[in-house]
Amino acid sequence: MNNEKKHRHPIRYDPDEKFEISILWKILLFLGPFMAGILLFTIYPFINAFLMSFKENYSILRDTFSGWGLGNYRKVLNDPIFVSGLKTTVKYVVIVVPISLALSIVIAVLLNNAKRFKAILQTAYFMPLVTSTAAISLVFRFIFANEGGLVNKIITTLGQSQINFLGTNKWSEIVLYIFGIWNILPFTIILLLAGLQNIDPQYYTAARADGAKTFDIFTNITVPLLSPTIALVAIVNSISAFKIFDYVFQLYNKPGPGYNLYTIIYYIYEKFGGTKPQYGYAAAASIVLFFIIAVFTLLQRVLQRKTDY
Amino acid sequence: MEVRIEDLVKRFGDVVAVNHVNATFESGKLIALLGPSGCGKSTMLNMLSGILPVSEGRIYFDDQDVTSLSPDKREVGLVFQNYALYPHMTVLQNICFPLKIKRIPKKERIERAKEYARMVHIDDYLDRLPKELSGGQQQRVAIARALVKEPKLLLLDEPLSNLDAKLRVEMREEIRRIQRESGVTTVFVTHDQEEATSISDYIMLMKLGVMQQFAATRNLYNDPANLFVADFIGNPTINQLHGIYEEGSIRADGFAKAIPIGNYKIEDGTRIVFASRPESVLVSKKSGETEMEVEETYISGKDTLCVLNAGDGFLRAYVDNEDAPEEKTAVRVSFRKKGVFVFSEESGERYYE
Ligand SMILES: Nc1ncnc2c1ncn2[C@@H]1O[C@H](COP(=O)(O)OP(=O)(O)OP(=O)(O)O)[C@@H](O)[C@H]1O
Ligand SMILES: [Mg+2]
Repeated sequence: MNNEKKHRHPIRYDPDEKFEISILWKILLFLGPFMAGILLFTIYPFINAFLMSFKENYSILRDTFSGWGLGNYRKVLNDPIFVSGLKTTVKYVVIVVPISLALSIVIAVLLNNAKRFKAILQTAYFMPLVTSTAAISLVFRFIFANEGGLVNKIITTLGQSQINFLGTNKWSEIVLYIFGIWNILPFTIILLLAGLQNIDPQYYTAARADGAKTFDIFTNITVPLLSPTIALVAIVNSISAFKIFDYVFQLYNKPGPGYNLYTIIYYIYEKFGGTKPQYGYAAAASIVLFFIIAVFTLLQRVLQRKTDY
Repeated sequence: MEVRIEDLVKRFGDVVAVNHVNATFESGKLIALLGPSGCGKSTMLNMLSGILPVSEGRIYFDDQDVTSLSPDKREVGLVFQNYALYPHMTVLQNICFPLKIKRIPKKERIERAKEYARMVHIDDYLDRLPKELSGGQQQRVAIARALVKEPKLLLLDEPLSNLDAKLRVEMREEIRRIQRESGVTTVFVTHDQEEATSISDYIMLMKLGVMQQFAATRNLYNDPANLFVADFIGNPTINQLHGIYEEGSIRADGFAKAIPIGNYKIEDGTRIVFASRPESVLVSKKSGETEMEVEETYISGKDTLCVLNAGDGFLRAYVDNEDAPEEKTAVRVSFRKKGVFVFSEESGERYYE
């Protein structure tokens, strides 16, 4: 009898003890610090920003505002600077996410099949992940520098004229994309590799028996069976790409050489600081970004349900 | 298509999974590859399909040497133990897949896929995903997928082992029907001797990578090449008495009297195993060469199974219910000519009269 109870409730080893209360305490003890952190640094600021976005002429120092309303949103959405920031951000997402994803899929599949150089390759693709992006951005600045930069050296050796990579709008944008793709690859590859490990090798055997060659197997078996992971990675990468700011800052110390890489977060950042802060605008812009990201998150849910075999 | 394997060997490191096997599979026949777990059946099948390279030996399809051909060039259809249906494709897409790989136009491949879906009675489920099918239905899809490319050789690796007993019997008859209908040479792997004997034309029995016997199914039962074959085939298993051969009799271990078994080409004093099918043991109250005691009796249907005490060993025999002897009484026992074999105890080799 006693034994049976023990089995059914492995935590409640003594049925007479007032376990409900003691367990509640344990739960609070373990989860408490984490929950406090979330409450303090995520939920509270979020609610605050949400409220702030509806407060007109809000001043953080005096904590005063002239009234509730949609004024901030109207201003932000009609602000050509915000709209161009949104465009720059969306362009970044649309370029960096698919390219990095395609590259990662190919690299992950190759890595998954590589037997000989696995150890070396593993270190290679882990490198950017464990190196700080600040350090990598420094290296990038060296590589693309005007005088003595690696790429320009190669170009001039080939007899072409030097390119101002970091100082022109067109090229600074491309350098940013390369930098973004470079940084996102390792994490993406690792997730995709995990997904590849989950594919039962019998499907490859079956496909080979059905006459499929390597490329047919890749397109007809590997990619579809990997699609849940691909969907997940695409969404996660998109979300983080929408928040692009640090890469731009680390490469150029400003929103690109000609203010051409001005992103949404840059807008929020500027409206929040500077000489004439406009907190309400910053809050409204954050909430707009939040909704864009929320839509992507929902999309991920739908996609994952669709690809759940 | 006729399949000929010559001196086939497969090694995995030190393990010899298939050891110098020679055989010819006649065109249009159903051949069962039978043997206990780990004896190399799957290895053999995978070498026939081209998934596994051979270590030694040759494989011929008709007169063509296919030993080094890749699976897609061999025109074989393969059904896996767990079917390996592509989980992201519907039934129709699964069956179409081999044709899609061959770049056959969409309209034609759908037509052909539907034809085979009808043949295996799965045409009502074309739009379902594999996870929405029962085990038996999945198996039919796997067979259709293997047949749709009109292979010259159909290979099935324990296709029934995931099914329940009733479905297993149903599906093996289905496989037989489909094989007859399509006329394709078929190799069917199983470790269940009853399954093998019930549907195959020929059986290849293997043990530890070595082919023990390859013969027409009936002959395997009636004319086993060695003790392993005699023991593996037949349910209930064959009776075995160990003892010493002496002038047409066996002195069974622990049994007082010599049991006459007929004259074999054996030196007196050799240790032998005397094997007899239960239906070849004749039990009667009066006539018979040897007296034995009935240890136990069990009624099974219209017959009674008698367990007869023969020293260290025992014999099982069937008697009509009306003629069943009492337990612990003496009966007289003799043996039919058919279904009685003598083997060397040491090597298991068969001795002939
Ligand atoms: N890839 C491999 N590497 C090493 N040894 C292997 C490999 N595949 C099979 N073997 C060995 O070869 C032998 C035969 O294996 P095989 O899979 O052909 O057996 P089987 O007759 O199909 O058995 P089962 O009825 O359990 O499926 C076994 O001893 C097995 O351990
Ligand atoms: Mg096997």
